Amino acid sequence: MSTVPLLELQHLSGGYEPVQIFRDVDLVIAHGTSTGLFGPNGHGKTTLLRTVSGVIDPWSGNILFEGKQLNRPGERGRRRSRNLNYDVFTRRRMNPKNVARAGLIHVAQGNLLYRELTVRETLGIAPIAARGRGEPGDLTEKALRLFPRLSERMNQKVRFLSGGERQMLSVACGLIAAPRLLILDEPTLGLSPKLRRELADAIQAIKADGVPLIIVDQDVDFLKSLIETLYLFDHGRISGRIERADMPSHEEIMRMLFGEVHS
Amino acid sequence: MTFETFLFVLAGGLVLGALYALMATGLAVVWTTLGIFNFAHGAFITFGAYLAWQVSQTEAGNAGYFAGAAAAVAGLFITGVIFHLALVRPFERKPNVVLLSVITTLAGATILENAIDLVWGPRSKQLAPMVPGDATFFGVTTSKNQILMIVLVLIILAAVGAFLRYSATGRAMRAVAQNREAAELMGLDVPKLYAGAFGLSAAIAGLAGLFVGSIHFMTPSMGTDPLMKALLVVIFGGVARFTSPIYAAFVVGLVEAFSTYYVGLYWTPAVLFGLMIVVLIVKPEGLFGKYERSV
Repeated sequence: MSTVPLLELQHLSGGYEPVQIFRDVDLVIAHGTSTGLFGPNGHGKTTLLRTVSGVIDPWSGNILFEGKQLNRPGERGRRRSRNLNYDVFTRRRMNPKNVARAGLIHVAQGNLLYRELTVRETLGIAPIAARGRGEPGDLTEKALRLFPRLSERMNQKVRFLSGGERQMLSVACGLIAAPRLLILDEPTLGLSPKLRRELADAIQAIKADGVPLIIVDQDVDFLKSLIETLYLFDHGRISGRIERADMPSHEEIMRMLFGEVHS
Repeated sequence: MTFETFLFVLAGGLVLGALYALMATGLAVVWTTLGIFNFAHGAFITFGAYLAWQVSQTEAGNAGYFAGAAAAVAGLFITGVIFHLALVRPFERKPNVVLLSVITTLAGATILENAIDLVWGPRSKQLAPMVPGDATFFGVTTSKNQILMIVLVLIILAAVGAFLRYSATGRAMRAVAQNREAAELMGLDVPKLYAGAFGLSAAIAGLAGLFVGSIHFMTPSMGTDPLMKALLVVIFGGVARFTSPIYAAFVVGLVEAFSTYYVGLYWTPAVLFGLMIVVLIVKPEGLFGKYERSV
């Protein structure tokens, strides 16, 4: 058991037909460790994570979660004509439902959730992924203790929440799904420093509870406090892997990625 | 116009309104969940009526009204799921799915109507009223059947509304409608929920067919006019809430009844569609709010 990594990506390539976004990504996440992804905007981090959670199909390569293959193996079927409806002939190579129910939970970037549902209803949907895996009890209480703001807003519709509250709700939903591995894609995107700290504290608490994370963020110092391994992501490839011990500061990373010009 | 006539027309309008409410609600369930219009909804109404007739009123089957209703609901649920799998699902990921599904569901409607014509023939039939006899209120005589129908429609609508509002499946259907991707990432089974919404809509259409068949004659093309009216109601009232098409249905039913009395039968559709155009010019999102589902 201990030799099987939690998540393993082997030669994973993918993108949005016909544009390839990332290629040949190899990544191993051991049990009980958290991983950071760092890289410039528009270089395919979000696309990679969307592929891992099955929202879009991988083109080739394997996604192994706790030793179980999540995608149908093999190369994608090529579209030889624009005039045929290939959706009918090609089966989806991944099913996001199965990924979520296996315990790989993805909190999407800038998640808008369900505009017209109340906070209570939204939280009520979250445990579905945890059911059937024999996860202990309901985690809603715990999530609400972590985000006390949400309990004041239970009967409000999601569209009336502020950006920060919506982000908290997204993370809370991810937590309630009892993740074996939780993907957080830029959870602090566009938040004020105060809300950012609040959310960062909550994420710390989630990690302290033993939930492994994959976290994307633009702030290396924030990542540093959370993760064991940092992957640098650049032009659709993993360009470096740094352990926590020799993790550089924000400036050094900028230098590594962009050269001296930006420092 | 005497007071009695007024009440008579009013009662007729309420009956129409109840029928339209049931049809439009079925249509709105698909429209708000999948984001497409199902033009086979009228054929579903026809098929429901014929199924109920087959089970409850023929030599071969006279199992009674309740069995007829059950057959209509179960049969139409299955038909709805099949229609979704065959006519909508293959185009789900196409960017022009709305346009494509107009044509495919229209094709499905034609095929289903012709199949009904083949099986049961073009001769018109009628379902016997659920309860015989008349009742008189304030000097106006209506059939007990129509009163029972209005009550049943309201009960059915309340049940469907409660299902969408309070049950876990209904809540999941609303979530999928609003953000498909977030729902997928939370582990909801989106294809199953889509098929379920289509089946639910068709089952409601089947019940509507049962009621239409008991007050009008049944022909293979009996669904065309109700489909028209249901579309009118959904566009006219909007689908902001579960209740918006219901209010709109009663408005349309009453306008139709009074217009039939005053303007005449042949000009009534023109009156209704004219009214819809005026409403849309003034309030493009419909009388009762936006094209977005809250409850």
